Parts: sequence; C-alpha cells; structure tokens
Amino acid sequence: MSGAVESEAFRDAERERQADAFGRWIFIGSEAMLFGAVMLVYLTARMAHPEGFGEASSRLSLLLGTVNTAVLITSSLAMALADLLVKLGRRRAAAWALAATALLGLAFLAVKGVEYADEVREGLAPVLGLPFAFEGADPRGAQLFFELYFASTGLHAAHLIGGLAAIATVLATWRRSTDAACLRRTRAVGLYWHFVDIVWVFLFPLLYLVHR
Amino acid sequence: MNEVRRLAAAYVGLLALLALTVASAFVDLGGFNSAANLAIAAAKAALIAVLFMQLPRQGVLPRLVVVAVALWLAILFALTLAG
Repeated sequence: MSGAVESEAFRDAERERQADAFGRWIFIGSEAMLFGAVMLVYLTARMAHPEGFGEASSRLSLLLGTVNTAVLITSSLAMALADLLVKLGRRRAAAWALAATALLGLAFLAVKGVEYADEVREGLAPVLGLPFAFEGADPRGAQLFFELYFASTGLHAAHLIGGLAAIATVLATWRRSTDAACLRRTRAVGLYWHFVDIVWVFLFPLLYLVHR
Repeated sequence: MNEVRRLAAAYVGLLALLALTVASAFVDLGGFNSAANLAIAAAKAALIAVLFMQLPRQGVLPRLVVVAVALWLAILFALTLAG
C-alpha cells in the first residue's frame, strides 16, 4: 500500500483502504438481503406447493445446471488467481486471469441461454407473455416454480452481466493504471464476483434439486 | 507456493461438494434431502468466503457487516417461516 490517498477526505491511505473495504462489504451485504428475500419468497411458495415444485424442478436440466455450477466455481478460482497475481506484481498474467474469469462468465450465460431456450420450447416459461402449459398434479404450483425460477436466475444473470461489465472496465484501463489501482480494482470486482458465485451456490440446490 | 495451494484446495473442495450435493439428489434421505443440500451450499459459501474472499483477513468492519447481514437474514427468515 503506497502512502498517498486518492481522496482528500481521508487522513491516510490506511483509513482510505478500510473505508473502501467497508463500503464494498456493505454493498455486498445489501445484495445479500436482496437475494435472501427472493429465496425466502421461493421457500414460502415451495412450502405451499411441495408437489408442484417437485414436479416442476425435475423438468430442469440437472446436467446443464451442474455444468454451470462447475463453470462458475472455476471462474471464481480464476478471479482469486488474478487477485494473487496482481499482488505478486505479475500484472500481465493477472490480466489474463481476469479475461479467463470473464470468458467463464460468458460460458455460464451461454449455457443458461440454452436452458432458457429449451424451457421456452417446452412451454415452461410463464414470462413475457409466453405460453405456459404443465401436465401434472399441481400446474398452479409448477407455474409458480417457473415464475420464481426465471425471476431468481434472471436476477442472478443480470448481476453476472454487471460483473462482466466491471471486469471489462478494469481491463480497459489496465495498462494506464498504477499497481495499487489495479490491485484495488481487482479486489473490488473480485469480491462482487465471488458473491455472485455464492448466490448461485444456493440457487442451484433450491431450484434443481427439489425432488428427484 | 502456499497461496496457490490454498486456492487449489478451495477449488477441489468446492467441486467435491458439488459432486456430493448432486449425488445426494439420487438418494432418498427421507425428507432430509433439502436440509442436506442447504448444509452443503452453506459449506460451499463458507469456503468461498474464507478462501476466495479472504474474509478472515479483512478488518473488523467487513466482518461486522457479515455478522449484521446474517442476523437480519435470520430475523427475516425466522419471523416469516414461523408465521
């Protein structure tokens, strides 16, 4: 950590670093409250419609969901490596690790897109006015499941796209930035990226592993 | 290098837990499948928070945020699910 502060609001660089970290974690905390509330809505709906949610969940592709979880975990590893590499002063390698993180994020979105397309084709997407038809004991519960499935995975995907934009911004200014700035930005975007990974870690069993 | 080994251990642990949670879906645990899956998800989240987000190395303020969020989420979930 160099001695200079970026903002004159801070007495010294250590104070500024602590305030930065505090702000980032508060942001992550508010995001956790948002996703927590969404998952709570899902849980209450599921308790009201256990059978419909079980039937509906088994229509999702467990294979693609599992692959995507592995992809996202790998992207988090790449992000953690980027953080380590910047810290070691290996800026070039760190930039490649950030690029790998972004590519894995894109791969996740691509797989999610394939899943969405399958679900739309099978008439399982009760969103955007698309036709929805479900044969089973509890079609109303199944519809509720798919509404919450698209809401929660859509919200998650929007966050992932935000993360991709943040990585792109960091990389675009990479060469012109100081080592300290690169480290700070990698750390900030990394914290967010890992959080988005954690959200998926909970969404995956909630949505894909209800009842098989 | 120590740091790399730490990250590799986290990665292998996360993939192992993923395999475990998917495998558990094919075994009937008599009503405890969901609880097991959520416990595994919590373990994965802890691995990510500790080894990737380096939560223990943060100062007292970030840790305070995590505790506060956990507390408020616990209140939110407890009051809703009890009602």
